[in-house]
Order: sequence, then structure tokens, then C-alpha cells
Amino acid sequence: MANNITSESKQLATWYFTFAAIIFGAQLLFGLVAAIQYVMPGFLFEIIDFSVARMIHINALVVWMVFAMFGSVYWLLPDETGIETVGIKLGKLLFWIFAAAIVVVVLVYLLVQVGPADETTIWFINEGREYIEAPRWADFGIVVVALGFVANLFLTGMKGQRSGIVTVLMADMIAFSGLYLCGMFFTDNISMDQYWWWWVIHLWVEATWEVFVGALAAYGLITIIGAHRKVVEMWLWIEVAMLFGSGILGLGHHYFWIGTPEYWWEIGALFSALEPLPLVAMFIHVLYDWGKTQGQEMGEGHIDEDHVKSVVTNKPAFTWFVLNAFGNFLGAGIWGFFHTLPQVNLYTHGTQFTSAHGHLAFFGAYATILLGMMYLAIQGSNGIKVLKHTKASIWAVSLITSGVVGMTVALTIAGYVQVLVSRAQMGATWAAYFDGQSGMWFAQAMDWRLVMGAVTFLGFLFLIKDFLSTGKNPVHER
Amino acid sequence: MIDPVIIRPEIALDDFLPIFVSSAFVLIFGGFYVGIYTAVKVNLLKKWTMPIGYFFWVLTAYCLYIMGNLMHVGEFTAKALVVAAFGLLLLPHAVYYMQDNVHEENEH
Repeated sequence: MANNITSESKQLATWYFTFAAIIFGAQLLFGLVAAIQYVMPGFLFEIIDFSVARMIHINALVVWMVFAMFGSVYWLLPDETGIETVGIKLGKLLFWIFAAAIVVVVLVYLLVQVGPADETTIWFINEGREYIEAPRWADFGIVVVALGFVANLFLTGMKGQRSGIVTVLMADMIAFSGLYLCGMFFTDNISMDQYWWWWVIHLWVEATWEVFVGALAAYGLITIIGAHRKVVEMWLWIEVAMLFGSGILGLGHHYFWIGTPEYWWEIGALFSALEPLPLVAMFIHVLYDWGKTQGQEMGEGHIDEDHVKSVVTNKPAFTWFVLNAFGNFLGAGIWGFFHTLPQVNLYTHGTQFTSAHGHLAFFGAYATILLGMMYLAIQGSNGIKVLKHTKASIWAVSLITSGVVGMTVALTIAGYVQVLVSRAQMGATWAAYFDGQSGMWFAQAMDWRLVMGAVTFLGFLFLIKDFLSTGKNPVHER
Repeated sequence: MIDPVIIRPEIALDDFLPIFVSSAFVLIFGGFYVGIYTAVKVNLLKKWTMPIGYFFWVLTAYCLYIMGNLMHVGEFTAKALVVAAFGLLLLPHAVYYMQDNVHEENEH
């Protein structure tokens, strides 16, 4: 694939992207298995139980995104710093260690599944913490890989030209890596355990990952539409300030019901209400830069709006970047704001509402932009000047997006049933839980979730087809 | 046998749907407001559409009021929602002001 790449850092990025795409497929596949089990509870019973399928589904989600994020940094570093990444050989070695560790962890999840529920389980099978269930030996491996990655980034940033994007990434990646440590130790008290676990999950996705997305969006806008660097970086700093300003204490909305003091209600309510603001800002960011750059193009002699030359040099990537702006706003913003205040969260907490929010937010905020970065890498590695849409890329973006949106709507309906029946009418009892799940609306919503999951997977197959055929496709300008 | 504790709903059953719909519209209308504001500023939309943008902010604030009212939010949360509403009103102005200055510095 990487025939036209002269930079070793970009070469390494393509490895990361390739592995990320494989794990993305695994995530969707095991998501489908879990969705089928909601509809047909006997499916793969005692072979791959729901708990195992779900564990692989959500852990694969985190892993492929982390791989794609590392890949994105290795891809943009030479462009941003003007030099080859420092310590690239170490980077390559760490990639193989990371990839091998993930393969072993997944095989253990699939073949061993459960342990004796003592220290052996924690060290060698899984830690039992959602999203970051890697056993402890793998945890240490991940820390070593992350430290090596951060060292590569810092040494390169300090030696080369340090753009605003690289500076933000340097600070962000320190926080990103450091926060992982909070998910590595146990306390006997479940409230305290959850307290620290949320430091990883919330402060990753609603602070450091969002800042990371801001940096990628900045790089993407400069690369794809030639947006003015100073303007883009100005936006980036505003977004960083707003994201950290609202995101860090927005953590409070996870502390409503886990046994933490009640002052978290007020803190969570205030900062959660402010959390959509940076997402709105990121949405305007793309619109603003696109409008300015395209307007400049029109101003330079191409007055005829019907025949104006597009400033977009990579259409599939730009489509995913625009979807990121909308998806972040919809998934993280709207679906998050639905149930972020404690008064209503009392009823929605732990229902399929959360799952609906999780699906659209992870897709909209992260998957989209990382897929856009993969398209940038494909463009660069194939020496393509203008990467155009193909039938496969249009099918991929349409099916994946409509599939995820469809799943989100279905899960929202299921969650609404749970809110009304299991929580409001029956008062959150054991019987209420089962009554809520056995209702017709809930069951039909889960059927539709499965259908839309299959649509998403079909879109993924088109995406892979497009990735693999781009190099030979004559439609692109070289 | 001890009877299970039933948590009685503080929100009326019929109010859940309006709460979810109004909270969704808070951000949808809010998005329209900042979207129209930005589009007018970068000449993607004509200037006369700007009042429509502000009208969407009014709708945003109204939905926020409905949502808070139906949820029976406390005094503190009500103040937080007012801060968020005014934050949204000021946000595009402040951001555009800074952006425009950066553009001016770099283009002229």
C-alpha cells in the first residue's frame, strides 16, 4: 500500500491504520453477535455468551480508535514538524508489541473467557472494567507503548518546527496516557473504584479525545481545503479552552448515583449544561473555514457558483470530517444533553438511552474523523493529488452513517420504554427491569437495532473495498 | 418479608416525552442559531437572514425553559441553564470577533 511514502513515520502510520481497520471490523462483528443475542437469546449460548461478545465489542472500539489515533499522529508529525519522527525504530518495535498484545488479549477473551475470580483473572484474563478490560500484564504493556509513543511525539516536537497543532497534541497526549493509570488499580470499595475508573473513561472521551479531534480537524482543514493555519490554530486554542473548561468537571454527571457526595449534582449539572458549547464551536469551525476558503476561491476569478472549482482535495476524507462536525454535535451534544441533568438522569441512567448516546457519540465524534484520517493516508500513500468519491466510498459513508443513526433511534425508543415502564411506572425494581424488557416496543426496537447493525456492517465492507481499490482506481487525479 | 422500596417518580409520566423533545431542540435550535450567524458572516447566507438566527436563539432559550420547568430543576440548576443560554448567545459573537481579527492580521 505504501509505495509513494518516503517518510518512515507515515509508513508506520499506515501500519497503525491497517490494524485499526481490522479491529474496527471485529468491533462491528461482535456487536452484531451481541445484537443477535438480544433478539435470539440462545444464539452462540455457552460458546460466545453475550457478556463476551459485548466485552469484545466495546474493548475493540477503544483499541481500534487508539491505534487510529496513534496512526494519525505518526501521519501528521512529518508535515507539522518538517522532520522525520525521532525514534521511529522504537515506534515500529512498539507497534508490533502493541499489536501482538492485542491479538493475545482477544484470543484469551474468546478462548478462556472467564477466570477463577481472583488475582489470576485480573492479571491474565480480564479486569472486569468496561471499555478497559485488558488484563494487568497487557495494561503494563500498553503503558510502555504509550510512553514510547509520547517520547516519539515530544522528541520530534522539540527538535522540529513546533506548530500549534503539535503543541496541543503534546500536552493532550501526556494527559491521555497519564489518565490510563487511573484505571489500573483496584480498591475494595466499588464507589471508589468507579470514581477512578471514570477518570479514564470520561476524561478520555469528553476531554482529551475531544481535544485530539480538534487537533485532527485543524490538520485536516489545512490539508484538505487549504484553510489558513493561523485561523485554524486560533480555533483550536478556543476549542481546547472550552473543552477542558467544561469537560473536566463535566465528569460530575457520572458521579450522580455511584455513592459520591451530593455536591456532584450541582457540579455535574452546571458543567454538563456547558459541555455542548465547544461541540457547537467545533461545528461552526468547519463551516467557517470551508466558507472562507471556498469564498476566497470564488473571489479569485471563479465567480460562477455553478462552475466554481472545489477547494476539497480529498472528498471522502472531507465527507467524514464534515460528518464528524455533525456527528459530534448530534451524538455527544444532543444525545448527551438529553439525559445529562440529574433530575432526568435518575430515570435514564443504565437504560438503552445510554447505549444510544454511546453509539452515536463514539461514531460521530471519533470514528468519522479517524476514517477521514485513513483516507488522507490512502491519498498520500498512493500519490493521489485529488481523491474523489467512488461508488464504494459513497455506499460506505451512506450505509455506515444510516446504520449507526438507525441503531441510535432504535436504542432511543428502547430506552424510552425502559424509562417509562422500568423506572417511572414500576420504580426501578427487579421485576420492573424484566417488565420493561419484555414489552413489544422494546422488543421491536431491538429487532430494528439488529437490522441497522447489519446495514452498518455492510457499509464497512464497502469501506474496505474502497480502501483496497483506491490505488488502482483511474478516477482519481494523480 | 420486607417490601421492596419503590422510588416514586418526581416527573409526571406524560412529561418525559416533552422533556426529551425540548432538550433535543435546545441543541438543534442552538445549532441553527450559530450556523446561520456563521453562514451570514462568511457570506454563505444573505444578511437579512440574521434575525432568523436570533429567533432560533429565542427558541433555544424557550426550550431550555420548558425542559427545566418539566424536570423541576432546583434553583442552582436553573441558574446554570440561564448561564448556558447566554453563553450560547455570546459564543459566536466572541469567536467570530477573534477569528476576524486573526484574518485581518494575516490577510491585510
